[in-house]
Amino acid sequence: MKLLTHNMLTSHVKGVVKGYPLLIKATEVKVNEVDFNPQFVSRMIPKLEWSALVQAADELGQREDLPGELVPEYENNEEFLKKVHRVLLEVEVIEGVLQCPESGREFPISRGIPNMLLNDDEV
Amino acid sequence: MAQTQRASNEPGMRLNHQKAPGTGTLLSWEEIRREPSVFDDRCTRTTLRGRTMDAGTGNSVGAVRRSKEDRKVLRKQLKASHTLLKHEGIRTTPQPTKTLVVANGGLGNGVSREELSAALGEMGELETLIMHPHKPYAFVTYRSEESARKAHVRLNGEKLECRESSVTLYLSYVNSVTCEEEVSVPLPDGLVLVEDFVSQEEEAVLLAAIDWSSTNDDFTAKKALKHRKVKHYGFEFRYDNNNVDKDKPLAAGIPQECLPFLERCVKNKHIDILPDQLTVNQYESGQGIPPHVDTHSAFEDTILSLSLGAMTVMEFRHPDGRLVAVVLPGRSLLVMKGESRYLWTHGITARKFDTVPARGPQSPARTAPDLSACSNLTLSKRDTRTSLTFRKIRHEPCGCAFPSACDSQVAPLAPPPPSPPSLPCCHADAALLEEEYVHRVYDAIASHFSSTRHSPWPRVCHFLSTLPAGAVLADVGCGNGKYLGVNPEVMAVGCDRSSALVHICAQRGFQAFVSDALRVPLRTASCDACISIAVIHHFSTQERRRAAVRELVRLLKPGGRALIYVWAFEQEYKKQRSKYLKEHPEKHSPTEDAQTGSSQEAHGESSIHTSRRLEDLQDATESKLSVHTNRTAFNTQDLLVPWHLKEGKKQVDEESREGERKDETKEKSQKTNTGFGSGLDTSAKPSASGDTTPTCGSALKSESEISAAPVFHRYYHVFQQGELEQLCGQEAGVTLQSSYHDQGNWCVILEKALGTDL
Repeated sequence: MKLLTHNMLTSHVKGVVKGYPLLIKATEVKVNEVDFNPQFVSRMIPKLEWSALVQAADELGQREDLPGELVPEYENNEEFLKKVHRVLLEVEVIEGVLQCPESGREFPISRGIPNMLLNDDEV
Repeated sequence: MAQTQRASNEPGMRLNHQKAPGTGTLLSWEEIRREPSVFDDRCTRTTLRGRTMDAGTGNSVGAVRRSKEDRKVLRKQLKASHTLLKHEGIRTTPQPTKTLVVANGGLGNGVSREELSAALGEMGELETLIMHPHKPYAFVTYRSEESARKAHVRLNGEKLECRESSVTLYLSYVNSVTCEEEVSVPLPDGLVLVEDFVSQEEEAVLLAAIDWSSTNDDFTAKKALKHRKVKHYGFEFRYDNNNVDKDKPLAAGIPQECLPFLERCVKNKHIDILPDQLTVNQYESGQGIPPHVDTHSAFEDTILSLSLGAMTVMEFRHPDGRLVAVVLPGRSLLVMKGESRYLWTHGITARKFDTVPARGPQSPARTAPDLSACSNLTLSKRDTRTSLTFRKIRHEPCGCAFPSACDSQVAPLAPPPPSPPSLPCCHADAALLEEEYVHRVYDAIASHFSSTRHSPWPRVCHFLSTLPAGAVLADVGCGNGKYLGVNPEVMAVGCDRSSALVHICAQRGFQAFVSDALRVPLRTASCDACISIAVIHHFSTQERRRAAVRELVRLLKPGGRALIYVWAFEQEYKKQRSKYLKEHPEKHSPTEDAQTGSSQEAHGESSIHTSRRLEDLQDATESKLSVHTNRTAFNTQDLLVPWHLKEGKKQVDEESREGERKDETKEKSQKTNTGFGSGLDTSAKPSASGDTTPTCGSALKSESEISAAPVFHRYYHVFQQGELEQLCGQEAGVTLQSSYHDQGNWCVILEKALGTDL
């Protein structure tokens, strides 16, 4: 699971109001090498919840010097875009859990795949 | 997030709309986009770029003027190139080189080295010609680039008439030759092959000792099996229960003439104890025996097989998918012990030609028995072969180290399926039904299913191609991720209920997670677009189907669009029969069942199958779900559709099988693909022999004449015309953008209204 995906995921446990962002407790993290595509990264940024991304990167100890706020005029800031590219697309959680911040319910991540299935009684 | 993981060097793609001197029409991006045929396998721009640049005559990018025929050949060539890349990892290049890949000119296409070499040799001097076993292509390197160019121009799109078949060749330049199987694969553990074990005189004596004409069943049990001839001595092997009648020895024991041979086996330490059972099989050209493990409980460990007459190729398959093809020359002895006897299956594909090492100065004097070590291969015509298989009857249960394949150690087959379900009337029942008849099935058939879902549908690709760069796309019910990589400019994430299928997505480098389509754990209004292809028809109540649509709508941002495909009740639309129907359902017979063995496909994709109409499952009362007969029109909206599981094989494409229909059924499944021109065949491997009498002792119990493949039933609610529209019309905040019928499916595009607050 990449952090770009994590940024979109939310807890959908019944009755939960604030299910986003999911907390990450990772036991295995990989950093891959992915081709850097500045336009793509630049286009993704407005679709992100920036603070959730920073928080997730922090949880994984992969934040490095990613700023807490979006820098202005990031479209042409290659250095910044590279940092974003790294946390968004290169960092990958292989094993761990995603935790609903409100209910505490844990969703396992196994072999890079989060299993978000709810039990019948949670739906 | 597929696209950044591919080695893309250009972030975006720009077409230069230059006109080459003297040419007429331009093909603009718009024009090409409209033409679905350009979006062949992957609907990627690489294909498009390849097409324009691969004009082969140095035209500038974007400017192509071709006759219709030329365009067709070009299209097929590109499709071939693309398939080669995708499925074989072969990268073609538009720049001329000395080496060409010849699609459809492989051993897997029934083309022999001699035939191809002759055709290619006319263009210039050949340096090397490589033909890997079972592959649907060959590599040719010419002495000069000029000769290669000549070949490319003259032979591309040309038909080659071979003894075995007629193929259309597509040639592309390559920079390097991919040699997948250069490493020699070891023989299965416990397998020993001894050549020249008996002399020619001894061979003649042994063959004469077998009297096929004897009709006296007191002495022998000669069975007229559908294909090969079989005769037993000592004890009769029964094909109905794959075991031996240990209490009823046959009057005729092993013929005296076999004693010298057996003594030699003892002397050479292949066996300690003399066998007491002999099965003689005679194979004519085109006959074989399906893969099987000799029943553990019937026979002791060591099995001796003496090959007399013509050579053949025997294939050993390990449960993990490994395949080892072993050449068995005449007069050779094959000793199977341990793992090779208890775990690997062995079989002989019913064929008329085998791929064997070529004789000649280039081949080594002593070729390895397994074919993977050779790249100098050719075809060898089969001739009559007689095998003498000697075994020792086992009187105690088998205690081997391979319980998974052992009939003494595994529990008997699972009980027959429960009585058919009724249509559910509440969520809980619906969920249970779907668990049993959708989710469990997909998890069980995932890899087979995935292998039959390789071609993205053009109109879905078209929808995806219209999404703006940077769009967030959710594929709800993504299956094997077929659509996740189609448009590399979007951020695609998939989810599916089947963990097994999601893992396949991950293997392919896509981002996906496991979840239900009714509760997708993505934030509201987070997606620019959603697709739901062949998903909603698996929900068993209207409420749930509506809920699925509602969920898609929830995910959309205002202005966002969703594309939904569901299976149509009406498989014929505007007088056009869908592909699903186009293949006439075969007259069902058990042996044909075994022959085809391939699974059916929903939605008119590759492969054909017939299913049994299980009369006992069809109920008079309306609420009971009936089992559908594949490839026929639907007569009810709620039904169970059979899926016949085929282990580990990719499916032969539907189109390539059309040519086989007229053949004898036993040949059918043995004909390898016709290659790239006719369809998207991804495998040149011959499918398992459709021979009817496996001596299989494995857990798949079956009657002797019937295929042992397990059948799964999937629940579907097929939609009537207008039904999907109506379903969507009930949702607030969406408008119907478009509604159409596509190859047996009803399809809609919805748009979420702007300023909607959900």
